[in-house]
Amino acid sequence: MSKKNASVWTSIRFWRRSAAWVTGTATVLLIWLTFNTMGQISMGSDADLANGVKKRIPAPTVINYHIDYVMDQKRGHEVPVIGQKEPFFGKQWSAEEAAALLHHGKLTSQAKNCMNCHTLLGNGAYYAPDLTKAWLDPRWEDGTMAAITGKNSKEEAMAEFLMHPSQYPTHARMMPNLNITQDEAVALVAFLKHMSSIDTNGFPRNFSQNAKRLEGGTNAH
Amino acid sequence: MEPIISMPVIAPNEFLGIFAVSTMVLVLGVGYAALVTLSKMGYLSRKWIPVSYIFWILQAYSLYDLSVRIHSSPFTFKVLMIAMLAYLFAPHVYFYLVEQAEKRYSQAEEHR
Amino acid sequence: MLTNAHLKYESQKLGMNYFRVAIVLFGAQLLLGLVAAIQFMYPGFLFEVLDFSVARMVHINALVVWMLYAMIGSVYYMIPDETGEEVVGAGLGKLAFWVLTAAVTVVVLVYIFIQIGSGTEATIWLINEGREYIEAPRWADIGIVVVVLIFYWNVFATFMKGKRTGIMTVMVADLFALAGLYLAGMFFTDNISMDQYWWWWVIHLWVEATWEVFVGALAAYGLIKILGAKREIVEMWLWIEVLMLFGSGILGLGHHYFWIGTPEYWWEIGALFSALEPVPLVAMFVHVLYDWGKEQGHMEANAAEGEKAHAVNNTPAMAWIATNAFGNFLGAGIWGFFHTLPQVNIYTHGTQFTAAHGHLAFFGAYATILIGMMYLGVQGASGIKKMTMTFKTKMALFLIIFGLLGMTVALTIAGYEQVLVERADLGGGWDAYFTAQNLPWMVQAMGWRLAMGVVTFLGFVYLLWDLLTIGKAQAKEA
Ligand code: HEC
Ligand code: HEM
Ligand code: HEM
Ligand SMILES: [Fe+2]
Repeated sequence: MSKKNASVWTSIRFWRRSAAWVTGTATVLLIWLTFNTMGQISMGSDADLANGVKKRIPAPTVINYHIDYVMDQKRGHEVPVIGQKEPFFGKQWSAEEAAALLHHGKLTSQAKNCMNCHTLLGNGAYYAPDLTKAWLDPRWEDGTMAAITGKNSKEEAMAEFLMHPSQYPTHARMMPNLNITQDEAVALVAFLKHMSSIDTNGFPRNFSQNAKRLEGGTNAH
Repeated sequence: MEPIISMPVIAPNEFLGIFAVSTMVLVLGVGYAALVTLSKMGYLSRKWIPVSYIFWILQAYSLYDLSVRIHSSPFTFKVLMIAMLAYLFAPHVYFYLVEQAEKRYSQAEEHR
Repeated sequence: MLTNAHLKYESQKLGMNYFRVAIVLFGAQLLLGLVAAIQFMYPGFLFEVLDFSVARMVHINALVVWMLYAMIGSVYYMIPDETGEEVVGAGLGKLAFWVLTAAVTVVVLVYIFIQIGSGTEATIWLINEGREYIEAPRWADIGIVVVVLIFYWNVFATFMKGKRTGIMTVMVADLFALAGLYLAGMFFTDNISMDQYWWWWVIHLWVEATWEVFVGALAAYGLIKILGAKREIVEMWLWIEVLMLFGSGILGLGHHYFWIGTPEYWWEIGALFSALEPVPLVAMFVHVLYDWGKEQGHMEANAAEGEKAHAVNNTPAMAWIATNAFGNFLGAGIWGFFHTLPQVNIYTHGTQFTAAHGHLAFFGAYATILIGMMYLGVQGASGIKKMTMTFKTKMALFLIIFGLLGMTVALTIAGYEQVLVERADLGGGWDAYFTAQNLPWMVQAMGWRLAMGVVTFLGFVYLLWDLLTIGKAQAKEA
């Protein structure tokens, strides 16, 4: 090709190089941000919990604590708040036990394909309620489900529901029986409880108003 | 650190407006680019050029309106307006490039 | 579609094989989508037999797999045209095709008949991984990697041996990134935030970066092949598109990191870069129209007396590629922009809005152009100089586009209602979810989605019929 005083703007070489540079820069930036994010979203430790150090993703032993989701005026949205110790299935779990339980729960959630009906952290399918804060849902919190399943605690009611969901339907659209065993159900509840303690920058929004509304209050605040 | 984006509460009756206005931003944006290109190519008369600028003005207004509707902070607002200004030149740059490329490569050996 | 009679190259025959499997999987995708849509309306349908989760998993997996098949097919088809060479390892390529197809069959049968396993690693290895779009069990993951390596070797070695056009250069680099990204989705972690972080590397960096660039390269090839567009200009634009697509799409990844436990700075990054993502889509749209107009103009100027000038030598393929240019902008650009700002996304995240966007974007950006490539394949295989639309082509185009648009509108209305009632007013949760699901707006929207899904399926029947018959019919005429 002859290119007497041809403008650089029509030069294929120029655009090829620019494309390579832009792509390279974006990739490097993404990798750098990824390192930073990895640091911030790796799980905290049991000691962090004991010392009240806030982590975006707390240690598995967070299942030994009471979890709440409250408005943070400074951040302008709700954030999970980890409170006093409370028993989970009637006991305190050691760091190893809690880690093993969470591992089993996460594995079960994938094996049973929860994500192709529900959303987790807002990602997944739209056939059933979002499970991000299911542990804190008023229907579990206010004893409705405990009464329906005939259990004494929230975690036992949840486990019972997960083992035999189609026996305790509350809507025509039911959750099917997924052959979840007792052990798997306990592990899944731990997985759900842990997920509710993750700092999701305020998603789902206004969730904490739900409880007030269902108690007969209004959601205008 | 203060986040640059604040997360305002949006009332239910505000959503329809938000979705409508964001559509306008994009549709007017394509309209502007298409009118400039087509009239410069000669498929439309040159008279359409002023019309395309009206599209751009409406688009800029829609984006301004969107930024108000989502209660964006002054910083976000400035970024959006600068982007709008840049978009004013986009189709012209684009056309210049096609034309120059056409001139340069039409002499090149015949393609398959 | 069933003949290879006029293909000289093994590479192109292999490409046709991939197209054939792709179209079958497309049909399976639609059928399972219909099952899932029925279950939204009549939850008792196949309850505890073939549950929603199973139907949906097969629906979206068949989607991803048929698209990958059609993409591989397109590459095999264009290799000889672009490089001027036969593919180096035709035999190995064929073996890989059959291995992959056997593996896909086994995976689908396991999905449908075994469905789920116990909460152990064995399930992840053998049955499914339970992660949306990339559910394939680990054994299949490894198989896929091996097959893709063979494919990549074929592309790369042929490229090195033959002519190195700009289009093929982009293709070779892009396929490398595309295949590499799959690895980000292959490991297990207990940390759900970490899980989602890497999961989006695969999904987003596929559909909004590497697949888009792939489509750019395909469209460039298509424009040269169908319209006889000038290669230098097309390639110059291809590089500009790569610049814009990767420049916005890579960091646009941030729009999935607003609420999964990741830090707030992703709000700014995600908002800024993903808001730029529609810009290259506008450019691609204008570009296709420009070239079409230009070449048509040339042809008319050069046409002999009395001869009706027509630049397009394959009108069905051109129609689908034009639909792609517009559909990409509409589905990805407009419907994407709707919910990409964090102020809005906190309400729309994980609602039917997302489903509306997902359908229109996947269809507009990918299904369309891949169907176009199939028509190109049929044209070559049947040795037709100038392929023109039949009644069936037009019915397929009309019904599929109309059906998809109808489904999208229905889902958008459903999403809108869900945002207002479940999210903005009630604040999410079990009760809020079902309150929104049971309102008439939602129920009717789900009805319309199903109806429009049936229309789409009818369009598919016409498409299949047309692909099977158009080659023979027009080869005879010529
Ligand atoms: C086939 C679809 C399907 C699958 C798979 C599924 N669910 Fe459900 N799930 C539902 C439906 C539908 C409901 C609502 C039931 C009702 O209201 O009667 C529900 C309700 C729930 C609830 C109560 C709602 C809430 O917000 O607290 C929880 C908890 C739950 N599912 C957890 C799970 C877990 C954990 C898994 C995976 C092991 C799972 N589900 C798999 C469909 C499904
Ligand atoms: C017969 C027509 C179709 C019907 C009835 C149908 C139905 C469905 C249903 C019911 C879902 C589950 C949505 C949910 O979780 O709530 C779904 C998901 C999906 N479908 Fe379809 N579908 C059809 C065609 C298509 C086509 C043609 C494509 C793409 C080319 C497609 C791509 C998708 C995608 C990407 C998802 C996942 C969406 C998301 O998670 O946001 N579908 N479809
Ligand atoms: C061809 C290109 C694209 C395809 C195929 C596509 C497809 C999808 C799909 C299937 C999902 C749902 C994922 C899930 O199941 O959770 C999704 C989500 C999303 N897409 Fe796209 N998309 C494309 C381009 C874009 C563009 C250009 C934008 C922005 C301008 C965008 C913005 C988003 C956002 C914000 C979400 C998250 C939705 C949520 O929060 O629930 N997409 N996309
Ligand atoms: Fe994305």
